[in-house]
Amino acid sequence: MTSFTRRQFGGFAGLLATAAVAGPILTACSGSGGQSSMGKVVWSTWGSPEDLKSFDRFEEAFKADHADIELVFQPTPSYSEYHSKLLTQLSTGTAPDVFYIGDDRVASVIRNDVLMPIEDAAVKEEDFAKNVLDIARWEGKLYALPNDVNPDTLWYDKEALAAAGITEDPAELAENDQWTTEVFFDMTSKLVAAGLTGAVYWNYWATHDGFMTTNGGQVYDADGNYVAHTDANSVAAMEAYAERFQAGELKLADLLPEGAGSETLLVTHKLGFLAAGRYTIGAIRGAGVDENLYDIVRWPTKDGKAAPTGVAASYLAVNAKAADPEAALTFFSAFLDADGQRLRLEGQGNAVPSINGADDIVLNGDYPAHAQTMLDMRDMGYSNFATEAAVPDLSNQIAVEYMQPLYEGKKDAQTTLDEVAALVAEKTQS
Amino acid sequence: MTTAAAAGTRKASPRGWREKDKYWGMFFVAPQALGMFLFTLLPFAFAFFLAFTEWNGFGMPRIIGFENFQNQLTSPLLGRAIINTLVIAVVTVPIGLFLAIIAATVLNKIKGRAFYLVLFFAPVVTSAVAIALIWQQLLRADGVISGFLTNTFGIPPIDWLGHPWLALMAVCLVTVWSSLGLNIVIFMAGLQSISPSVLEAAAIDGAGPVARFFKVVLPLLSPIVFYQSVVAFISSLQTFDLVFVLVNNAGPDNGTRTIVYHIYDLGFAKSQFGLSSAASIVLLALTLVITAIQFGAQKKFVHYEG
Repeated sequence: MTSFTRRQFGGFAGLLATAAVAGPILTACSGSGGQSSMGKVVWSTWGSPEDLKSFDRFEEAFKADHADIELVFQPTPSYSEYHSKLLTQLSTGTAPDVFYIGDDRVASVIRNDVLMPIEDAAVKEEDFAKNVLDIARWEGKLYALPNDVNPDTLWYDKEALAAAGITEDPAELAENDQWTTEVFFDMTSKLVAAGLTGAVYWNYWATHDGFMTTNGGQVYDADGNYVAHTDANSVAAMEAYAERFQAGELKLADLLPEGAGSETLLVTHKLGFLAAGRYTIGAIRGAGVDENLYDIVRWPTKDGKAAPTGVAASYLAVNAKAADPEAALTFFSAFLDADGQRLRLEGQGNAVPSINGADDIVLNGDYPAHAQTMLDMRDMGYSNFATEAAVPDLSNQIAVEYMQPLYEGKKDAQTTLDEVAALVAEKTQS
Repeated sequence: MTTAAAAGTRKASPRGWREKDKYWGMFFVAPQALGMFLFTLLPFAFAFFLAFTEWNGFGMPRIIGFENFQNQLTSPLLGRAIINTLVIAVVTVPIGLFLAIIAATVLNKIKGRAFYLVLFFAPVVTSAVAIALIWQQLLRADGVISGFLTNTFGIPPIDWLGHPWLALMAVCLVTVWSSLGLNIVIFMAGLQSISPSVLEAAAIDGAGPVARFFKVVLPLLSPIVFYQSVVAFISSLQTFDLVFVLVNNAGPDNGTRTIVYHIYDLGFAKSQFGLSSAASIVLLALTLVITAIQFGAQKKFVHYEG
């Protein structure tokens, strides 16, 4: 039987150990993982094939203007998988040069020193909607800018409202500061009585935070502490909305069965209100229904006057290890400036511009009739709170593990908000 | 003379050949050993280390002792994941093996078995993602299955993936369906290795088809049943890709959260690699315990020839 001496075995193990150590070192030394090189910009985002088509016009224009820069696009279909992949790439030094980050992730990514401050970019922060910038700031420096934004306006179906015997127009009520939560709940009750669904919301931070802030409540204080559980208006608002969910008047879009999703309900006149962004234009036009049957209104409030709501946003950032920082910043600026946003969002574009001087994109088509509401909600609204966005997946955890049980009647509002406060404290202290 | 002398030299120094063999052996084993070291042992050691640290994937891990284990062993989410995973294993392994034995026994006796084998085996060579996407369409509230039940029996449309227990049962159904082909092929190989003379002897002794199956075939097949049950159980404990694609966000009310999904969620969604590693060590311990129980039980139920 063949046997190894201690020395032979030691040599063999040493060879393996050297190779094992060499692998990670070689990977770490390769900067952006060999994906990129001088004159090349690798960029990534999430989106369905349909969503990604909106980038075609921009890419073509960019290539025409910057023939010396090669663009490589690396999309990922799912939002959640995109961030898992991006974080893994960032921690192993193989991330793209320029990439999208969601508003529930951007603050946590910035704190890991993997992004390039963007003060040298041609686009300047002064040109962007200020209320959605703070989340991308860390220790006085700005690390990302919003690609575009999507305030969740309430899309409503005039035919569904008429079928429920509702004669008042929500947009007109809003213009006269009479669009109260009470009036809204009265409408959702009538819609359900008529065999329809009252309103549908996506279960994420802007929804539950919006319920509170439109009813005089506070979610976080100026120091970034979670205070919703100590704010009587916030607790009362969550209790009132939860009761409507339990009564079946309101539903979560996330839980609707496949094939009977929120947009399907809207275009088949089975739904009164849908909290959704500008991308709903595409769903309405794609369904071939009479688009004039639909309009938008801001969220109802306690006193009927306009109040801030959450503005969903995605951000664009530059990898601190970008192989060609100059080319990356050129792409970054071209993507975000007014022309870039125009190329991406014009026509049936799926979002609202985040930069000054491009609002005509939203208004030019004269659709929906109250399109200005999108811009008003953008200007008045707020981004995800930095405290929450600084902890990976915390916003999602609050929505799925705390707010959903509240809407399902498994817990009351005070208990839920107390638990969220404890969770936020635990996650932000560690 | 020269040849004889050379042969004599060779015979005289076998130690030199053994030395050379040793190096050739090491040379051929090296790629496999290196791969195993890099992709199995090293990650395992790293995960074990991470289980005692707090780390978000960036910077240096901070050692925090047994805090992650304390957190996970009191986590309702891990508890739910363990229960769901055990339900999948306990439901799919016996049903899958039972159906495979029945199908293998039938296929073993019919003509044109190759055709049926191809049909049964097709899901085995299909990617889990493709399988999940197809079943997602079938199990929708407006999908084929609900449509059939509504049209035939007047049952209101069921959203199979929208209810915690139904979604878990749907995962079990798809798991059994997709693994059936492999089990059938292995059992057929086992059936064909049983000597016809043994079965003839049993028949001569008066054993009918049912008695022959339970008294002769099944005992002779028991080592394969045992092997398949161990492999299938471990595979069930590692259920991930199917639930990841088939049901969003671990299903309604975490109804399909499995242990591996929980590990993925902690590590790659929440960037809590310490907790994720601790959960993976818990999975390892669970797998070892269950496999040990299976090996203990085999002494009573498994019949080895000779």
